[in-house]
Amino acid sequence: MTTSDVRAALLSADPRLSKFSPLPRILAFDEFDSGTHGWTELLGNYNGRGDLSTVDDHMRDFRPPQLSACNFFDIGTHGALSGTYALKLATRPHKGHTAVAIRRLTMSGRGLVQLETYFAFKSEATLGGGAELDNFGDVQWDGNTHPSEAQFGAFTVATDLCGDGGLRYHTVARYQNTDLDNHFTRRWMAPTVPEPTPREHFEGKVKLEYAADFTAPNPEDWQAFGEPQELCYNEVPTKVNWHYLRWLIDTDKRRNVELQVNDRVMDMRDVPVPPYEERYETLENLLNFYFSVRTHSSVRNFLFLDSVLISVDW
Amino acid sequence: MTAVLERDTTFDTRFATEPYEVAWAGEARWFVQHIGGDGTATYVTQVSPDGITWCDLDDQEHVVEPGKLVSWPAAGFGHWLRLRAKVEGSVQVRIHLAVKA
Repeated sequence: MTTSDVRAALLSADPRLSKFSPLPRILAFDEFDSGTHGWTELLGNYNGRGDLSTVDDHMRDFRPPQLSACNFFDIGTHGALSGTYALKLATRPHKGHTAVAIRRLTMSGRGLVQLETYFAFKSEATLGGGAELDNFGDVQWDGNTHPSEAQFGAFTVATDLCGDGGLRYHTVARYQNTDLDNHFTRRWMAPTVPEPTPREHFEGKVKLEYAADFTAPNPEDWQAFGEPQELCYNEVPTKVNWHYLRWLIDTDKRRNVELQVNDRVMDMRDVPVPPYEERYETLENLLNFYFSVRTHSSVRNFLFLDSVLISVDW
Repeated sequence: MTAVLERDTTFDTRFATEPYEVAWAGEARWFVQHIGGDGTATYVTQVSPDGITWCDLDDQEHVVEPGKLVSWPAAGFGHWLRLRAKVEGSVQVRIHLAVKA
């Protein structure tokens, strides 16, 4: 029996790990039933006096992640996949608002990096109102499809990476459920430009408004990849079905490799990974991951994460 | 855990903080700081069965004046917490919620 066989046997016999497919070295295994495990609110940069009015408007309100028992008005506590609590990102009920949770590490090598998670996405339930609320976007309530699904905008998984003398870049995968007009698109996308940074604002190059899309503000700077994919919203806003996501990137080649979401594996090797033209300081070996959720309606959008596993081949 | 529910936000009318889930927590304490503005606000802790419908936790009103930091505990809450506030004048507020198991 080889070392590899022993490792595979140990992983498959462990009910906590056997639902993942980790690379050889596990950097982080975050089951949110036991805490937030370092996933925290993202905030833009501020000056030397702690003056938060110097934070970029579009990066000042990404909301604190919550430990959620997935409590709902109709059935009470839903609970998570691996226990009672999940990590919840919640937007404000403001069109375009984004909630972001980030996890900060550094790289001790280069090569493959894989993030796996079990996630669910929901819109907040609407209570009361008139019959007009049975319609939203492309949906007319018919006992199966529910307007809540059309009130969900998009969620994103991404990195912030830097090294080799300040060369900084992001890898990004976004599921766009609806466009900004609330029509279903149900597609995977990535930006063709790097994310605007506080330094670019400081230098007067960019100034974005509150609720701008911080990953890439111009919708024309996003490019679809793979084929459209319908996920399991499951009819109403209070049923939580967990989806598997596995995302592989290569920090040696500075590119994406592939994205698996449930039974779909998408080749991402040709998805652009545009680096910043200018070099960045204080970020050597930066290895950040973030999840975000953005509402395209005036309804709160939620991204629930049961667990996250980050592994590498170095 | 500490959550910053408002970060130097300016209000000149009544408001409520975003819903925050605390099902896992046994203790909670609010810290409300007026870092700007010349107004005064009165805060009341609210609870909810579902994060959508809210009622006051108790009849305690907490007044915060310009430049002051005021703190109070919340006990016997359910799975959600928020604050509602009445504002006189203009206030710039920083609100921390500290929760423990």
